[in-house]
Amino acid sequence: MSDGLVNMTQRRGFNLKGGGQIVGVLIAFVVICVVASLVAPQFLTSYNMTIISRDLAFIGIVAIAQGMLLLLGDIDVSIGAIAGLCGIVCTKLLVDAHLDPALAISAGLAVGAIAGAINGTIITMFNLNSLVVTIGMLSVYSGLNLWITKGRTIVGLPKEVTVLGGGKLMGVPVPVYIMAGAFLMILFLTTKTVYGRRLYAVGNSREAAKIIGIHEQRVRIVAYAIAGALAGLAGMLLCFRLVSAQASMGQSWLLPSIAAPVIGGIATTGGIGTIWGALLGAAIIAVIGNVIVLGGVDVYLQQVVTGAIVVIAVALDAITRKMGRG
Amino acid sequence: MSLLEARGITKHFPGVIALDAVDLRFERGEVHCIVGENGAGKSTLVKVLTGIYRPDEGDLHYDGETPPAIGYVPQELNLFDHMTVAENMFLPLENGVLFRRKELEEAAQPFLDDLKMTSAPQDLVRDISVAEKQLLQIARALASRRSDILILDEPTASLTATEIERLFAIVEELQARGTAIVFITHRLDEVMRLHSVVSVLRNGCVVGNSDGKEVSEAWIVSKMTGKEMDLSTLYRPRTSRGETVFRVEGLSGEGFEEISFELHAGEVLGFAGLVGAGRSEVLQTLFGMRNPTAGQAWFDGEPWVFNKPARAISKGVMYLSEERKAHGIFPHMSVRKNVGVGLLRDVARLGVVSSEREAEATARIIGDYRVKTAWSETKIMNLSGGNQQKVLIGRGLMANPRVMVFDEPTRGIDVNAKDEIYRLMQQVAEDKKIAVVLISSEIEELLKCSNRVLSLYDGRINAEIVAEELSEERLLSSIINTGGASDATAANREDAHV
Repeated sequence: MSDGLVNMTQRRGFNLKGGGQIVGVLIAFVVICVVASLVAPQFLTSYNMTIISRDLAFIGIVAIAQGMLLLLGDIDVSIGAIAGLCGIVCTKLLVDAHLDPALAISAGLAVGAIAGAINGTIITMFNLNSLVVTIGMLSVYSGLNLWITKGRTIVGLPKEVTVLGGGKLMGVPVPVYIMAGAFLMILFLTTKTVYGRRLYAVGNSREAAKIIGIHEQRVRIVAYAIAGALAGLAGMLLCFRLVSAQASMGQSWLLPSIAAPVIGGIATTGGIGTIWGALLGAAIIAVIGNVIVLGGVDVYLQQVVTGAIVVIAVALDAITRKMGRG
Repeated sequence: MSLLEARGITKHFPGVIALDAVDLRFERGEVHCIVGENGAGKSTLVKVLTGIYRPDEGDLHYDGETPPAIGYVPQELNLFDHMTVAENMFLPLENGVLFRRKELEEAAQPFLDDLKMTSAPQDLVRDISVAEKQLLQIARALASRRSDILILDEPTASLTATEIERLFAIVEELQARGTAIVFITHRLDEVMRLHSVVSVLRNGCVVGNSDGKEVSEAWIVSKMTGKEMDLSTLYRPRTSRGETVFRVEGLSGEGFEEISFELHAGEVLGFAGLVGAGRSEVLQTLFGMRNPTAGQAWFDGEPWVFNKPARAISKGVMYLSEERKAHGIFPHMSVRKNVGVGLLRDVARLGVVSSEREAEATARIIGDYRVKTAWSETKIMNLSGGNQQKVLIGRGLMANPRVMVFDEPTRGIDVNAKDEIYRLMQQVAEDKKIAVVLISSEIEELLKCSNRVLSLYDGRINAEIVAEELSEERLLSSIINTGGASDATAANREDAHV
């Protein structure tokens, strides 16, 4: 009985709005930025900031999408392929069908939501392992991308949309605003809404969620659909930025989409962490990627470094958790 | 001197004495039955004998140079389904480089023959029958240790009458060969059948030992019960019960059959029975967590639709799981969010949750049910078991339920908190006229709290005991099914397993 009281007073300082972990991640982010500015003088230039923020816009959106799924204890490794599919469909509609941009973008979002919902439905209906199912679906969606494009690059996007990918507003790239909007929406969804509470509940304990009357399958399918739509958003923005669409788009997003939330303290087992963590994790990845380039390190080594950071972050998380208990 | 002798074995756990100066002797070629209620100390004793626990006091003596080899066959099946019979017998295998399948299968065969098993060494375990699996566990215990002592923990739980006979024949053969058998069981008919030495455990003490005399079922029951139970404070609702809320007829499903009963507003209806008797399954079926195979139910006179928990909750039926940690709390969420997530209709508008309303509801629960927590933002997993339980009960009551099912509500909860939970159940039945169902393995709890007790045995109701007839002896006899009801259920068991 009394141990409850002791525990709580000890933890009080660490419980502000979803865990003190986020403070740790924030400190890590600041330290990395300080080190970066010392090592590479160009780091703090406004030109470089533009580059970082644009990278962050894309990684950030997929990280938020994946972060939501990880909160449920789910994962979707086909997110990059869904992004590519949405970008390709949207580009095709704009270039070949000359569809109104608003309609084409809506169609792209719908494709993403449907692709995600298909993943979620297969996983929850037959109670399958989400990793295995989405590895299969990764191949399905990538194959579709190749089939639609026939391996060729689609060009000829109208100016109205390319400004969304390449334009700037008050010196800040437009995709950054879009990412910020998506972030605020998902933050609100996960922290303030009924759906968000159910999401965390299912992530904490599917059985307990069922017992209090939550339709856990529904909650999970909706999350897959939202994640798919967000991936679609990122995929379309990338097309607008590149002024073209091709089958391989989004393939490189798999690692950062999982790494960012994990670095930001979202546990892959579900129920722990916040969307803030996904954003901060994405920021850390974007900065590190940038520093590697500035430092003149071989670009191909970037993958080695990002991969190593994920592994270190997971290990550190496990160690601090163990110490916290002992 | 005996093959193995336990002298003065005492084992403490925080807050309880699991074993209190236990003296027992195990002889070659003897079947020794150990009986006792849930929590009497049987499993702790087994763990001390097999060396899993170290006793705090007392020690084990043996007559030879080396301690006797002890084979242990656990109650639940503990096999590798996708591996062969032979592999299961000899895992983890001796160190070496190559795995010689043929040799292993040849070595397994004599043990299978000994137990008259029909499976072949190369059969996959997932393809053999439950009874064969049970026998395989025995074969494994014999093969791996060449056991001098074989401990069988409730070995007949999943066997049919014919299979039990086969098991007994094997036990007798092993006995004739000089193996000491320790037989742990709840079933007194089996104890009688085995003509064995009987030791009765109660609250960690050996309260009875047959010492070579023939004993009767009545003697065993009298030893298992006792006079020390403190029934001075009762928590039975004192107000008269109200209208029928649930009427259940002929309900069958996985683990139970032909269950019929009525549940009234304002009463506490106890469900007694051994672990695995089907109590939780019956209520979980009503609640929508499992599917019925037959039978009907009426709620307020209307036919009850067996659906999902969400529907049962919308009708005012709540279920508190016995697995509080796994199926009750959301461990990494704050107390406030744990409360809020069960009351989303009340704390949210247009899909947006109001933290203030959540906090208000939480504060009310913390105040009303005296939950000990410094603030509502702490993760619920940092609360003690009793306080977690009070939060869950409080949350359930806030939704103004008609029926509340408490499944083992005091498991893992300390003594003081237990009384508070009993008082709560009484209050909600008396003041709010809620129909309370109490599923419990503790006889004392059922006696203290229930207006009426239904006893389940092997998935069927074998007794209904009203308050005036409630006594420890009566309840225990029903739970272990001695006396009048036993013939009927024995016949039923045969049907159930065919």
